[in-house]
Amino acid sequence: MEAPPVTMMPVTGGTINMMEYLLQGSVLDHSLESLIHRLRGLCDNMEPETFLDHEMVFLLKGQQASPFVLRARRSMDRAGAPWHLRYLGQPEVGDKNRHALVRNCVDIATSENLTDFLMEMGFRMDHEFVAKGHLFRKGIMKIMVYKIFRILVPGSTDSTEALSLSYLVELSVVAPAGQDMVSDDMRNFAEQLKPLVHLEKIDPKRLM
Amino acid sequence: MQREEKQLEASLDALLSQVADLKNSLGSFIYKLENEYDRLTWPSVLDSFALLSGQLNTLNKVLKHEKTPLFRNQVIIPLVLSPDRDEDLMRQTEGRVPVFSHEVVPDHLRTKPDPEVEEQEKQLTTDAARIGADVAQKQIQSLNKMCSNLLEKISKEERESESGGLRPNKQTFNPADTNALVAAVAFGKGLSNWRPSGSSGPGQPGQPGTGTILAGASGLQQVQMAGAPSQQQSILSGVQMAQAGQPGKMPSGIKTNIKSASMHPYQRSEVRLYHSLVSPMPSSYWLPE
Repeated sequence: MEAPPVTMMPVTGGTINMMEYLLQGSVLDHSLESLIHRLRGLCDNMEPETFLDHEMVFLLKGQQASPFVLRARRSMDRAGAPWHLRYLGQPEVGDKNRHALVRNCVDIATSENLTDFLMEMGFRMDHEFVAKGHLFRKGIMKIMVYKIFRILVPGSTDSTEALSLSYLVELSVVAPAGQDMVSDDMRNFAEQLKPLVHLEKIDPKRLM
Repeated sequence: MQREEKQLEASLDALLSQVADLKNSLGSFIYKLENEYDRLTWPSVLDSFALLSGQLNTLNKVLKHEKTPLFRNQVIIPLVLSPDRDEDLMRQTEGRVPVFSHEVVPDHLRTKPDPEVEEQEKQLTTDAARIGADVAQKQIQSLNKMCSNLLEKISKEERESESGGLRPNKQTFNPADTNALVAAVAFGKGLSNWRPSGSSGPGQPGQPGTGTILAGASGLQQVQMAGAPSQQQSILSGVQMAQAGQPGKMPSGIKTNIKSASMHPYQRSEVRLYHSLVSPMPSSYWLPE
């Protein structure tokens, strides 16, 4: 069961509903260097950060047709980092003027026994992949450039194979609900990456 | 009054840092052009331009920000002019302005443009006022039309040459790859997963199990069905009790579970924890095969 659109729900206290604003694109391997240079210039000045993550997506099949999806992510190159559990809701159908994909987002840091806990709760792993790439930040915007690797032997992250010859580029912001100015800022930033990468809002349902 | 002063100071600081950034990137670009001109490539020049344009953008945004006071209302008046070296000023301007004297001040503090530029601007404004409003409107419209025609021609030419393969620059992204990657991240298309959702993964043998009871879940399969229900029944049947409150949604097979669960020591209140974390528990998992 997916939660109803967040902007319709009454405010009854509790935690603030955070929304994730997302723009996606891709860049071919041979153009990665130029993209990284441009991002290093445009983004906040920090040490270039690389990451190697293993993400597992768990499904809970309810009585309704659409299953409940939770994403568990662990860092493979940072020892001791907590696991990251994330819920992403359905994209909000807003007006066409909104430039980014908006969906409800809940992020939780967990301990390492997350997979056992989810299995006990009744979740089953649907698919997994390894993501390896670079992370940039500009203010509240997060830019990730990463390559997706398919895991050939389930459960073992040693045998991986790249899914395509491109890197996925994601520009995302996690902000409280109702702040549509964020999507304007994101579009302005996307304009500056224009000829290299075309960042746009891609509706995953169209690709099913 | 004090708030305005604070605002002024804050906005001046922001402006100063933006301008310093801009100066640095301009300086590095000039250095690149002067010293590495034989190794310079067009994409690298484009990168520098993009960086500069980004910084100008942020500068504009800072200026337009609602918290910045109108700088037009502020006036700078030199209070003391002296021909002696001023160490503070040297430090602040990084050695560029050593003396705050009467030759330096008119250049640095001027607000009016050069006399020739001023003349030209005055002439242009009188010309513009002379031709009248509707003629001006017609001229604006024709300019817009010409610009849009030109844009159309350019984009058509670009599209045609792309398909003809005449572009000297390589394509930097592939839209098909974009779609494939987004599909992989969104719902696992193309990754080795357990369900045949039309992906290019290796074909899986079908295991319908009791998943078919769920309406509309025809594409989904159950994994590890064997052994799971019996073990978890004792733990999770307590949840069944809480779910019994939902009228009319249970398939008939579950009623047998509920009868046994009614004697279960788990109380409803202890089970609320599961509900708060996850929405309705799958009922099919506890069905005996």
